[in-house]
Amino acid sequence: MATAEVLAEKEKVQGINADYEEKFGFHDPETGYAYKAPKGLTREIVEQISEYKNEPDWMREFRLKALEIFESKPTPQWGADLDQIDFDDIHYFVRASEKVSQDWSEVPEDIKNTFDRLGIPEAEQKFLSGVGAQYESEVVYHQVNEKLEAQGVIFMDMDTALREHEDIVKEYFSTIIPASDNKLAALNSAVWSGGSFVYVPKGVKVEMPLQAYFRINTENMGQFERTLIIAEDDSDVHYIEGCTAPTYSTDSLHSAVVEIVCKPGSRVRYTTVQNWSQNVYNLVTKRAVAQERATMEWVDCNLGSKITMKYPSIYLLGEGAHGEVLSIAFAGEGQHQDAGAKIIHGAPNTTSSVFSKSISKDGGRSTYRGLLEVADGATGTRSKVVCDALLLDEESQSDTYPTIRIGESDADMGHEATVSKVGDDMLFYLQSRGLSEEDASKMIVNGFIEPVTKELPMEYAVELNRLIELQMEGSIG
Amino acid sequence: MSAYFPGFSASGLLPAVSPDPLPFTLMSNETTKIPVCPVSELGPGERKIIEHEGEYLAVLNCAGQLFGIEDRCSHDDGPLAEGEIDQEACTVECPRHGSLFDLRTGKPKTLPAYQPVKVFPVEVIDDTIILEV
Repeated sequence: MATAEVLAEKEKVQGINADYEEKFGFHDPETGYAYKAPKGLTREIVEQISEYKNEPDWMREFRLKALEIFESKPTPQWGADLDQIDFDDIHYFVRASEKVSQDWSEVPEDIKNTFDRLGIPEAEQKFLSGVGAQYESEVVYHQVNEKLEAQGVIFMDMDTALREHEDIVKEYFSTIIPASDNKLAALNSAVWSGGSFVYVPKGVKVEMPLQAYFRINTENMGQFERTLIIAEDDSDVHYIEGCTAPTYSTDSLHSAVVEIVCKPGSRVRYTTVQNWSQNVYNLVTKRAVAQERATMEWVDCNLGSKITMKYPSIYLLGEGAHGEVLSIAFAGEGQHQDAGAKIIHGAPNTTSSVFSKSISKDGGRSTYRGLLEVADGATGTRSKVVCDALLLDEESQSDTYPTIRIGESDADMGHEATVSKVGDDMLFYLQSRGLSEEDASKMIVNGFIEPVTKELPMEYAVELNRLIELQMEGSIG
Repeated sequence: MSAYFPGFSASGLLPAVSPDPLPFTLMSNETTKIPVCPVSELGPGERKIIEHEGEYLAVLNCAGQLFGIEDRCSHDDGPLAEGEIDQEACTVECPRHGSLFDLRTGKPKTLPAYQPVKVFPVEVIDDTIILEV
């Protein structure tokens, strides 16, 4: 890249570096909110949420049972430090608007301004098939392309889906991630609100992505969206989610559950660009099942949050199914990105790949935690796991915890892990070509994550690169 | 239906109830009859767990019908039979991670378990529940 271009790009980056605070870290006044639950989690709060949403009895009972499970399970101690979370100091349900609008002009003014600033309506017009915008606990805006609706594609918020498609929701809800799966899944099951429901009928290919954008506004807020995607036989869909929150001095909690069913021959790609502010605990359970010949792909970019614990899983349960996880984690000062992937080969001739990239700087910590399992009887499986970690300074940390269980002798498994530092020789070489130390370092990082960014739609790849550059600002020296 | 993993069907999410012979009964023709308890001691919704040659087995009463299963979740090998019994659906729920197992077939209906557990015939002889292993 020529020096002039680098300088121009640097100016742009510095423009963005009007920083998180300005771009994403702002918050709106809470005037006009329809309801804000008091802090703390009780049976009454759970019953209230269910009542507010006018849910069927089975869902209310499911929530109450999940609350008991949540209370009975200890906080996990095997990963990042979660002991600082005060579950009694969180608002579990905040309703900012009374309804889900399909017309942007009907969205309450403050909320509309927020999403305008985040560029959501613009993105919808340009390159999306449908968009959902969740603000606090509920979705405030949802729109789907008419052509897709005519093809039978359902894309709506989960609360509406429970009312309008109760039979489909009931058939699949919590079958991939039961409430007992883990403490945070139990919490989500008790107080879930919002999230997306996607149903793609047999043979339908959704050409442009569907997107959901999640925004927390309130301080000490918990957001617990629940997403369910069902791709019928030979269908194809790409779902993208983005998330941001204001910067506060106290912590918020985001604990989502995402369940995906890929029927035979279908393909689902689920892309996340997570950019929560650095006071958010991001503890998410994501799991997909891939049946015969189906393909499931997670593209997972973790940039923000205080602590992230997220291990997208794929159960390959039909012959010939394929799973892929592409993951980037960026851990800056005070951040711990504990991310990874789980692939379970439960059927013969299944294939998978996990490609994980992490970057740590300013004392940040990134962890790769993965599981690769080949069940008895799952012959002819192939899998490759590559974890690369890049450390930008002496204080930062990277850990890798791969678990591999192989039940068949003919399985073809590969695991590669590298840890590298941005070395003086690399910087010197680039500086000898006229780049500053900072630009050289950015270029190395961009090259490092390029295998993942090239899998993103262009608009997101650009955004991701810029976010990483933003995170990189001031990292050298 | 996958020929390799009879627990999972191609079209339904997890499993369809299948009349397929169970793997256990295919493996051995020799059976042992184990007296479990008087039939009066096992009411609907109740279970009895026994140990046999180092393995834990259970008989569960689901709406008056008796089912024998191994007391082991195929997900993580922990105990299964002490979980909640849904008498309408004829399932038992793994108490740790929530997988539902069909008592008639041993197949999981929900993740995270994805492989079936063994099931055993149960009969009542002279008011005593007998598990055939």
